[in-house]
Amino acid sequence: MQLKHYETLYLMHPGMSEDDRSAFTKRLQDIITQSGGQVVLCDPWPLQRLAYKVQRQTQGYYVLLEYGAPANIIADITRELRLNDQVLKFLTIKHGDKFDAEAILKAKQAASTGGVEQLETAPEITATEEAQS
Amino acid sequence: MTQQDYKNNTAVRKRRVYMRKKICRFCADKKLHIDYKDVKTLRYFISERGKILSARITGVCAKHQRRLTSAIKYARHMALLPFTSSHALSD
Repeated sequence: MQLKHYETLYLMHPGMSEDDRSAFTKRLQDIITQSGGQVVLCDPWPLQRLAYKVQRQTQGYYVLLEYGAPANIIADITRELRLNDQVLKFLTIKHGDKFDAEAILKAKQAASTGGVEQLETAPEITATEEAQS
Repeated sequence: MTQQDYKNNTAVRKRRVYMRKKICRFCADKKLHIDYKDVKTLRYFISERGKILSARITGVCAKHQRRLTSAIKYARHMALLPFTSSHALSD
């Protein structure tokens, strides 16, 4: 199954313990990896103030997941996020139809080290080996 | 006839005073990416009330304005940006 490049950001209840939060994130990651996908980035943000109240909460923990996954798995991830009532908000975005983990990581490194070049061209490199693994 | 010409001339001249070429930030700097998570950048393109500013005011080109609009709407959905200032947290 061809992997596509996705990103999911979700907002979790501020009352959740750190263990619960990481356990849930782990569960999502498992769903992705079990389907042959690959997680490129898992970035839990610190407790953050919201722009408006969500379910009477003024703060929350955001978690950003960036991954490559087959398209049919998105429904499972969405279902998981919906079922958990500790998840206040979530958003999944498709970055592209092609997923190349190495190119993405390289582009990220270049961006973080103040590198100037080739963020635009990097995603165009096709992923053949990654897709089969 | 001559008077009308004169009028037209002043109209053109007057308009020229207000015209100022603005440059799209995202076209000028190719490194700059529009990202719905980048609240700091997006805040520059919304008014105090939380409304999206028109491209006429900010000088963003049409292509990037379209992307900005959707990025701001994503950010609003995720409670990163306010829909309106009246829902802002009071504390």
